[in-house]
Amino acid sequence: MSDETAGGLGSAGAVPGSPDPARAGGLLATALAALEVLSELGETIEDEWTYVTKLAEMGRARLNASVPDAGALVPAETAAAIDALANEAGRITDPHRAIDWLSTLPAIAELALGGGTAGAAPRPGTGRA
Amino acid sequence: MRFQDAARDARAVVYAGIQADPLVARLATLAADASYGQRLLARAVMNGESTESETWRRIFPSVLGAGAPDPERAEAILAASLEVAERGEQVRSQFRGAFVESLAQVLVARRAGAAAVRRERRVLFDGVAAEIHPYDLTVEAAGREETWDCKWGARGINADVLNQLDDARRHAADEEHALRVGLVVFDVRTSCAVRLSQQTAPRQGTAVVTLETLDALAGRKPTPA
Repeated sequence: MSDETAGGLGSAGAVPGSPDPARAGGLLATALAALEVLSELGETIEDEWTYVTKLAEMGRARLNASVPDAGALVPAETAAAIDALANEAGRITDPHRAIDWLSTLPAIAELALGGGTAGAAPRPGTGRA
Repeated sequence: MRFQDAARDARAVVYAGIQADPLVARLATLAADASYGQRLLARAVMNGESTESETWRRIFPSVLGAGAPDPERAEAILAASLEVAERGEQVRSQFRGAFVESLAQVLVARRAGAAAVRRERRVLFDGVAAEIHPYDLTVEAAGREETWDCKWGARGINADVLNQLDDARRHAADEEHALRVGLVVFDVRTSCAVRLSQQTAPRQGTAVVTLETLDALAGRKPTPA
């Protein structure tokens, strides 16, 4: 991933010369970059490599789906949320905790971007009570 | 089929102290009526690095920001989750496990009645060796028996857990009992699905309740974000 597309942790996709609001595509790049950092850290647990790579793949798909229009302007608080989320992910140094965060980060980003209700989430095969 | 208290080893005695900590019960009570977003907040904070509330306010504007629904509960969940996060890593891990068990107990009790819900129990069958590990939660009401294991994260789903639950279900069926078995996982549905997809142990007869579907334990529809 290039620097242009990755955005860097905490960049939050701000529009040049106008820190807020931001473009949704920039926030997406920030969240995806944070996900990659967690994935790389989690992959160091060899026994969990398959789980981590699949989880990262699902996470990327979930993040991409939460930003249908990359050019859309989003509120400043959303940009701040993604920025803070990426920074929090960047603080993780323990690979086990990184795997836990790999699971949670896409859902939090989705919520910050305006989606993520329990009823709206996809249902990929888990049973019901 | 019959239920029995599990023998307590040293680990169980220590863990019982965690389970009895008022913070666990406080968190479980708060989370039982929480929205999806509030539960996601609890998971993130208890699993996070930051223990400054302002960080979490920035990350969760729709839960903790101006105009967010049920702000008192959201603030209380943040405060209690931070108390857990401020513990050492090992204690934090034990608190998280005890919290999920307690939350499941609160929710299941609303459907099955508190008197029927028990913790740390074995299920015994005629002619079958007892499992080493007790179940986190059982419902012991004639004709409506259930066994549940509770996990903080999807990584807790493994072959041992799935086999034990399925074995119990099959042994109960052999004795002509319909034993409901399941996993309660305080993690998102997609992660549980990924984890389950990697398992070869039988799981068709095992219910999996995730962060998004916790309210089903109480017999109600999910609370909106």
